Amino acid sequence: MTMTRRAALMAALAGSLMIGAPAGAQDGPLKIGAVNPYSGPFAQYGDETTRGYELAAKQVNAQGGVLGRQVEIVRGSATTAQEGLSVVEQLVGRDKVDALIGTYISSISNSASETALNYGKLYWETNALAMSLTERALPNYARSGPSAVTFAERSVQGVTELLSKVVGKAPGEMKVWLEHEDSAYGTSIAEAQKELLEEAGVSVQIGAHSFKAIDLTDSILRAKADAPDVWINTGYVIDTNLLLRTAQEQGFTPPVMMTVGTGDTSETLEALGQDYLEGVLVVSYPRADISETYGPGSDAFLDLYRSEYNRDPIAPQGMNAYFGAMLLFEAIEAAGSTEFEAVMTAAKAIDRPEGSSLTGYGVMFDDTMQNVRALPVIAQWQGGQMKAVFPTSAVADGVALVNLPRQ
Amino acid sequence: MLDVLNILTVGVLLGGIYAIVAVGLNLIFGVIRVVNFAQGEFVTFGLYGAYAAQIATGMDPYLAPLIVVPVLFVLGAVIYIVILRPLQNDPMMQVFATFGILMVSQNAILALTGGVAYSVQSAFIGMSVSLGPIQIGLSRVIVLAVATLVTAAVALYLRHTRNGKAIRAVAQDRTAARLMGIRVETVYTLTFGIGAALAGLAGCLLSPLYTMTPQIGMNFILPAFAVVVLGGLGSVLGAFVGGFVVGLTEALAGFYLDPALKHAVIFIVFIAVLVVRPSGLFGVAGAEEVGLRDQN
Amino acid sequence: MTKTELSRTPRIGSFAGELPVLGAVLAALGLVLLFYSDDSFTLNTLAGTFLFAGLATSWNIIGGFGGQFSLGHSVFFAIGAYMTGNLFLKYELSPWISLLPAMALAAAVAMLISWPVFRLRGPFFSIATLALTEVAMALAVYFSTWTGGAQGFSVPFKRGLENMIFAERMNNALLMLGYVAVTLLIVCWLRHSRLGYSLQAIRDNEDTAEAAGIAVLRTKLIGMGLSAALMAAGGSLYMMYVRVVDPYALFSLFDVGVKVAMITLIGGIGTIYGPLLGTLLLIPLENLLRAELGASVPGGNLLVLGVLLVLTALYLRRGIIGSLIGLADRMKAARA
Repeated sequence: MTMTRRAALMAALAGSLMIGAPAGAQDGPLKIGAVNPYSGPFAQYGDETTRGYELAAKQVNAQGGVLGRQVEIVRGSATTAQEGLSVVEQLVGRDKVDALIGTYISSISNSASETALNYGKLYWETNALAMSLTERALPNYARSGPSAVTFAERSVQGVTELLSKVVGKAPGEMKVWLEHEDSAYGTSIAEAQKELLEEAGVSVQIGAHSFKAIDLTDSILRAKADAPDVWINTGYVIDTNLLLRTAQEQGFTPPVMMTVGTGDTSETLEALGQDYLEGVLVVSYPRADISETYGPGSDAFLDLYRSEYNRDPIAPQGMNAYFGAMLLFEAIEAAGSTEFEAVMTAAKAIDRPEGSSLTGYGVMFDDTMQNVRALPVIAQWQGGQMKAVFPTSAVADGVALVNLPRQ
Repeated sequence: MLDVLNILTVGVLLGGIYAIVAVGLNLIFGVIRVVNFAQGEFVTFGLYGAYAAQIATGMDPYLAPLIVVPVLFVLGAVIYIVILRPLQNDPMMQVFATFGILMVSQNAILALTGGVAYSVQSAFIGMSVSLGPIQIGLSRVIVLAVATLVTAAVALYLRHTRNGKAIRAVAQDRTAARLMGIRVETVYTLTFGIGAALAGLAGCLLSPLYTMTPQIGMNFILPAFAVVVLGGLGSVLGAFVGGFVVGLTEALAGFYLDPALKHAVIFIVFIAVLVVRPSGLFGVAGAEEVGLRDQN
Repeated sequence: MTKTELSRTPRIGSFAGELPVLGAVLAALGLVLLFYSDDSFTLNTLAGTFLFAGLATSWNIIGGFGGQFSLGHSVFFAIGAYMTGNLFLKYELSPWISLLPAMALAAAVAMLISWPVFRLRGPFFSIATLALTEVAMALAVYFSTWTGGAQGFSVPFKRGLENMIFAERMNNALLMLGYVAVTLLIVCWLRHSRLGYSLQAIRDNEDTAEAAGIAVLRTKLIGMGLSAALMAAGGSLYMMYVRVVDPYALFSLFDVGVKVAMITLIGGIGTIYGPLLGTLLLIPLENLLRAELGASVPGGNLLVLGVLLVLTALYLRRGIIGSLIGLADRMKAARA
């Protein structure tokens, strides 16, 4: 089953490649500018995201490239919105890229994509989360991956469908504490979560903290005083680790602990240990080790990544980026050019169900060019490893929830 | 009532963290009068030093100071001699140079680690002691205890040793100290080395508490400046007490007001104290007016 | 011999006397723009460079001439950006008009908060301004009505001179050049005005200045207000140029607050053209390093920049202008 689906996908992709390649293809590589922060606090994630693009380029090049041309990923470094603007000038003006892809940080995506529009270049978004990015309805902008709202939706589904059973309460009787770091990332997800949870009748308390704080005991004590059924945190790695460690010291043991976006990497495992993490849920991009039925091709991605970098991916952002880049190549191939109008039309024509790609995403772009079938999954720490536990279709054989409610 | 006790405990423990970070800065800022942006980097070196020691030898982070402290003393002295001493008549350039050091340090660590966050392992992590209904993390108690010991040790050193007296003399009046035959340059080098070594010690002791990233030093440095100025420049006791003032303010504001505002509150308190009593709580009146000009 | 001697004695000069030099400098910058007129990447770099030249020149008024080493000027920069952004979004007010209330507000805030802080001197003053930045940023994140909170806000791309929004980078660069021109003009005037002399007297020795009958606090406050107002104007331009702002970018210690001071130090603190020179060196260098090294080694560009900064501090101790004067002195001594 698994094999046939993957084989079918590969065949479909390969087929479209052959049809698409015109006889007299342009010389020189097809250049795609990859806008990400490669320095500063988010360097690791910027790099991991672009690794996804580079692996996708390698993969597609092995199959003959796109439009008969080899794909070349040109890295452009930006750590702020202003640098996002400069980097597009650099990539388009100096490096002569044909299209742009990115971005780990939403504000960089915002300024970079508008600058790209100045030059009539496509800006293909894979990773930035802010809802406002697609709401701008820029004609050159599409997002292949999840948004802040889809992260919120998935976590709220988890609460109402999965966790209400775990704690034995109807959603209307549940109490949820939403903790979030106070920059754009945590705030946008937590606000969307609050709205959705309140719609479902769940009573919600919200708490914000700075991810740079030296001490977060106050945040934990406030949550502890509220005694929630579910404690959800949206933060970066360092504050998530500090919160969990403080919760451990303070004896804060809510029935369910869930983190959003981070907390699924070895960085958290190293800090907290597998015993403490046992049962902690993480809403995140689908990981390379999700079941092959839900994400056909994820094993192959893992092999590809390992052979290229001699280690496992630290964070799942790379596979999400890989999916996005592959979809971009497909859309360019179908469009026959990198003109953004043509690529958008081609992308819009793609219609695939959820569970059809290595990340488990489907493809269906809405009017704002947001892929509405790109959804994160909920995974759980089990014996020092992350196992997908929600949605049900993503769960591998023999995997069941453990240690919930937490002991 | 329980809440209050709990929060006060949290504040005192946090005060211990600030106090241990500030004790080194207090020496450097109080004696040499350099706004040393790189001080947070010395803490970072302590953190990563503890990690490196653990990776290399499996050493517990609480033993890492045996290696890290001497290394950082030498590093601090070298940085002073090579970079800061030539600039001693250009205090603004000194600020600027320490900023350059900060950039080099942060980005060197980033280049080496790729930005992956690290944590150390220790038997004490996650352990806590219960005082009645109040939970206290053991690793924080250790920080508080060491902060107290180090403050006492530094105070005794400054009061009773020859070098310590020289440092105090230079802090009070550089010109007079020089006229008295004190080798001011040697004193500064020594002070900078000790300040860096103490920051390294702080880093080692804090390593079980935090997840390390290349930028982590910055999170300590701004509150530490507040602590030092609040307590009173050059007053060892002042930095210690300042640590608790900031720690308690932060904990109370975080719990009763909003964790998102606590940073603003500590700095508002800081500015308010500074304006009302510019020399800090324990400082010598007039010290703040020495300013940048009296550097020769 | 006598000729060099003359140029060596500190010239008192006059505002009018500065104008030919200013005109020549601006014309040279204009020629640079013309030279790169079809290179959008370079024009954009120049736009950013000119913006920072203006910002650093504004900082230099209180930081250089007044000797008050503020590290908190990002607060005024942010006020300008927020004011212009909000008035544009909520009332469709042209940034050309909203510049004025932005500058007025920044000046008022600057004078108000500086009043108590000016009691402090030297490093204490610097640290206090750092603390002010932290407070302002935390408040901007928390009280989100005007700031959009942590997520900030963005201004839609509505092209037009009245909106200061251009598709052509040349126009951005010209606008920023205009900003540099205005700030330099004001500094040229200041340099030879009563206010300017008072500020410099305070920088050189506050007690002597006071003894000489200068109203120290008032002079510092006016200097700070002027500096802050010009800084806010830069913030307004930045808003319409980048069109995406959030508190972390606007109040950034490194990208704004410390940077303007650093640029000025590199160029020559307390001189008219020092900030401009420093910017012309630092910002293109920064862009170049980012373009060449930023993508290959994580943090590689900033690592090299950090090393260069330390070397600059060590070997250009008085800034470029100070070093040039020093060099001229040495050459003269050698000839004598």
